[in-house]
Amino acid sequence: MRSMKKILAGLLGLAMLGSFTACASDAGNEPANTTAAAGGDTTTAAAAESKLPSEEGEITIKISWWGGDSRHEATQNAINAFMAKNPNIKVETNFGAWSGWEDAMSTSFYAGTAPDVNQVNWNWIENYSGDGSVFLDMNTVSEYFDLSTYSESALNQCVVADELQAIPVSMTGRIFYWNKSTFDKAGIDTPKSLADLMAAGETFKTKLGDDYYPLALGEYDRAILMVYYLESVYGKAWVENGKLNYTEEEIAKGLEFIESLEAAHVTPTIATILGDGAESLDKNPKWMDGKYAGIFEWDSSASKFGKALNEGQEFIVGDYFKDMGSYQGGFAKVSLAFAISENTKYPAECAMLLNFLLNEPEGTAIMASERGIPLSTAALETCKSQNLLNEMVAEANGKVLAWVDYPLDTQFENAALKGNPDGVYYDVFGGLSYDEYTPAEAAKILAEGVTEVLNG
Amino acid sequence: MAKTKSRTEKDMRNPSKFQVFCRRNFGFVFILVWLIGFLVFRLYPFISSLVYSFSDFHLFKGISEWGLMNYQEIFESDKIMKSLGVTFAYSFMTVPLKLAFALFIAYILNYKIKGVNFFRTAYYIPSILGGSVAIAVLWKALFRDEGVINAIIRAFGGEGINWLADPDYALFIISLLRVWQFGSAMVLFLAALKGVSVELYEAATIDGASKARQFFSITLPLITPVVFYNLVTQLCQAFQEFNGPYIITQGGPRDATTLFSLLIYRRAFQLNEMGMASAMAWVLFIIVMTLSVIAFVSQKYWVYYGDEK
Repeated sequence: MRSMKKILAGLLGLAMLGSFTACASDAGNEPANTTAAAGGDTTTAAAAESKLPSEEGEITIKISWWGGDSRHEATQNAINAFMAKNPNIKVETNFGAWSGWEDAMSTSFYAGTAPDVNQVNWNWIENYSGDGSVFLDMNTVSEYFDLSTYSESALNQCVVADELQAIPVSMTGRIFYWNKSTFDKAGIDTPKSLADLMAAGETFKTKLGDDYYPLALGEYDRAILMVYYLESVYGKAWVENGKLNYTEEEIAKGLEFIESLEAAHVTPTIATILGDGAESLDKNPKWMDGKYAGIFEWDSSASKFGKALNEGQEFIVGDYFKDMGSYQGGFAKVSLAFAISENTKYPAECAMLLNFLLNEPEGTAIMASERGIPLSTAALETCKSQNLLNEMVAEANGKVLAWVDYPLDTQFENAALKGNPDGVYYDVFGGLSYDEYTPAEAAKILAEGVTEVLNG
Repeated sequence: MAKTKSRTEKDMRNPSKFQVFCRRNFGFVFILVWLIGFLVFRLYPFISSLVYSFSDFHLFKGISEWGLMNYQEIFESDKIMKSLGVTFAYSFMTVPLKLAFALFIAYILNYKIKGVNFFRTAYYIPSILGGSVAIAVLWKALFRDEGVINAIIRAFGGEGINWLADPDYALFIISLLRVWQFGSAMVLFLAALKGVSVELYEAATIDGASKARQFFSITLPLITPVVFYNLVTQLCQAFQEFNGPYIITQGGPRDATTLFSLLIYRRAFQLNEMGMASAMAWVLFIIVMTLSVIAFVSQKYWVYYGDEK
């Protein structure tokens, strides 16, 4: 028994040693930025190394994505078509709603257990693969994925640590959408200017009732609208050269603008929206039945919000407000991208799958504009020639790209800022709405939070 | 043959050290699967989390500093301290309410009333559903602005309450979900009540003791071991509550329902700050352990075990 105790003690010791070893190996990891600098050398070598298709018979690769029902259906259909065309490649799928998706994926990226192909958010590349260790350099599989269908500027958006770590699918920006039926019910036109919107608040209240609002905005929506407002007024990007470009006084003006929307019954308070008990605005019963008659959303989300409305309601794309300021505020960014895991056993096959989904006529015709208006010229051509683009998404995307003038820093969507509910945006706009902060206090918290994230 | 036999007998009489070792420890083979699972999935994470708690371990940035900074931040951060306060408030509201309710229902169901088996099953069902996601979603739907509860209030001419978004109500709603799932505690109380000798009640009745007097002087003292067990287990569960606030309120409004386990989850999986999350997990462990120790130490003052003199 004593010997067994010794063995157990030994095992415990080993377990402890194991934990120290794990720490030691982690301690050896340089911070992302430092390693990124060394990425250049490995990139060149990796680019030269061609990834050949597997010589195994039947192989299995996995793909993950998030989205709504229509996206799931289209992607599954496209994958089935790919498998029919490539009978030796079996594709397993892993998909779900956005809520909690990043939490699960970030852990799998760290653990090296992520699927072979992943739909990724633009900022994930820098946040999770700042040194190029998580996602494959797409240049190494260019034999199987046609990069020539993308503009250099589009591809550059996904270059981190000198590696093309993902393929951008589409560009997106925020724009207003209106439930025209509710505005008709109130007897007014949908807003064409900020003045119209402010006036609509009072009209809704008096003609339709306290429950009706012309625009519903969650905390993150407010952050983006405030940046749009500030850029329109001051004519400068939110972040420039890795630094916050606005003073606390200027930010306070933006926050006062957001406060004024609540005061004028334009947008419900955060408490009202939380009290609705919906996971997101498109699932909010008040959006579905037209009590919330407007949103400020990504152009790629149009179909999701349109489909959520109850029958008989007309959903239209709005315009940017020219009276917001002297400049054309707002920004566009890569809506999402596809990346191949660095540790996949089948890089060539993964690239073939992506090429099918993003470039080849058969795949892109099925995927259509489920992830926004395709950046791939080949995909766009296919969709246009077959009239497959969702008209509303195309209209919204056209308006966004024609209007917005400012770049977006990748850190704008950093989890420390955007995380719900611990992110700085949620704290600031929630606190403001609950009257816990004055605009000046909130501006200070926001400026400090953004600066802290930008400083890494 | 005889030679072989004599050697075996000799071996049995004078076994080698290896044989003795094998014989004595053969039982461990049978628990090897559990043992490996314990070492890999319990002990290793337990110890490594303690080690990581002294580092700034970030999943994607690695470790750059060792020390007590996480523990220092825990006690300096308003947000974390508020979360601790909310967790204590939640636990001290939920556990007594749940135990009192479970005991009350068990006491009633201990009587020979018509359909008692149906009622016992009906009251036990919510606890089978446990901390399920579906129930939490249902709870959220009940208490939302246009939910059933407000519909009832409005039907009686009242004004709907913003249950989920009012910091004054949100924690109560979360707590109520757990209190509603009192079935497992109720079953234990029921078993304990069955164990109380009927003769004691008969004697008390003859002596003229009222029902209330009988309850406080006979029933309650005799079931204190079960009260103690329920108290400790429910307290441990309450401090680790996660599903309810995660699904119903996401910790809001304004952190009014951000229980400590929710904050640990966010630091670990939203911000990838594993070092900080580990430190917070250890603080939670120490709190639960301290409360359990206090309960165990205090039992000699209020828990009655029949075998004691």
